[in-house]
Amino acid sequence: MSANYTKEKLTLVNELIYEIKVKEAMSRRVIFFKENATFREIQLKLKKKKISGVPILDNVKNIIGIVSIDDVITALDKGYVDNKITDYMSRDVITIPQNVSVVSAIHKLGRFGVGRLPVTESSDSKRIVGVITLSDILNRLLVVVQSIAEKVEDKEIKNTQISHDLIKHMVKKRLRFEVKGDDFDHAGRVASITKKYFQNLGISKDIIRRIAIVCYEAEMNICLHSLGGSMTIQVNGDNNMIIYAHDKGPGIPDVKLALKPGFTTASEKIRALGFGAGMGLPNIERYADKLEIKSSLETGTELKAIINLGVKNEIK
Amino acid sequence: MKLSKIIDGCRLEKIVFCTDCKIENGYCGDLMSDVMAHAEPECIWITIQAHKNSIAVALIKDIKSILFTNNVTVEKEVIKKAEEEKVNLLRTDKDSFTICGEIYCMMEAKTAKD
Repeated sequence: MSANYTKEKLTLVNELIYEIKVKEAMSRRVIFFKENATFREIQLKLKKKKISGVPILDNVKNIIGIVSIDDVITALDKGYVDNKITDYMSRDVITIPQNVSVVSAIHKLGRFGVGRLPVTESSDSKRIVGVITLSDILNRLLVVVQSIAEKVEDKEIKNTQISHDLIKHMVKKRLRFEVKGDDFDHAGRVASITKKYFQNLGISKDIIRRIAIVCYEAEMNICLHSLGGSMTIQVNGDNNMIIYAHDKGPGIPDVKLALKPGFTTASEKIRALGFGAGMGLPNIERYADKLEIKSSLETGTELKAIINLGVKNEIK
Repeated sequence: MKLSKIIDGCRLEKIVFCTDCKIENGYCGDLMSDVMAHAEPECIWITIQAHKNSIAVALIKDIKSILFTNNVTVEKEVIKKAEEEKVNLLRTDKDSFTICGEIYCMMEAKTAKD
């Protein structure tokens, strides 16, 4: 299981080592010597720079050989450390062209057991333009992975961003629904559609939840207690969502009493279905930021509930 | 906890089973307004209200699983709507108090193990 996991997770890195070119990962500052250097000079340089070998270049920076720390040790051992390197250095040099992908460099480093590869200008050139080591490759990989991660993050932020365009559209266009009295089969339709609509705006889940509750209760009130009516959902310029519920009657004689939790005029039939518990209006009052109710026994009830979308106006 | 575990553990009848969702909590209530106000999304809702409005409430509240107790009759059109809306419907002959206790114990034991 865990092996598979690692394998799967490394897919990106596998892809990247094929994509990244040697020239993107290599260091361009090359420490090198000319043919007339001695092993002693090279030994001091290797020690100072903490590196394991240096390429030997001619006047036009073409590579003619390489001296590794092993060659220096041999020179110390055999007593020719103060001699010039010309006669002793390895002329059979392993290099890598700058335009191949780093995966070739990784393979070459592994196959020849070396710590660094001089990088040539091209495959048919001997001119050295850089040096590449495993740690150069790792560094480059990390930089690329980091930039990919940042892009993904940006994308996520964009995805969760509030759609100001949609909100503007909502300001212009309101949603209007007819709600029939005593129509239990379609009850909940307004709340359901409104909820879906507002989910597209990308506003917070908590506000969506409150919108759904207020819509549902207002819708149920028309359905349970009135002769029918309509609902209008609107967003105004201050990013407030306004729910208007208007019914044709019979009106609420005492609005203050109707707002009291538990107060109900519902019939036994309605209560058996789990409605009419006297919690509708109290729920609306609890979850809306503002609630206004006007009721008359002649013209019916007008309910206006406002919920702030929690959205700051876009900077223009 | 997976819904299927609760179904097996409490021997619930599957009326509609569309998704084996993860259940983190539950709510028991027969008053729609109460459920609207207090149930958590993705919970298992335990109720005796087996009518179309229960499905509507579940949809609005993002409740994916409803468990009917006392072996209440579930009408064909309720089943049809649940299938359409991908809401799991389950049933038991036990009463709400008993089955809530059983499910609660299962979920507590699971949390303790984790």
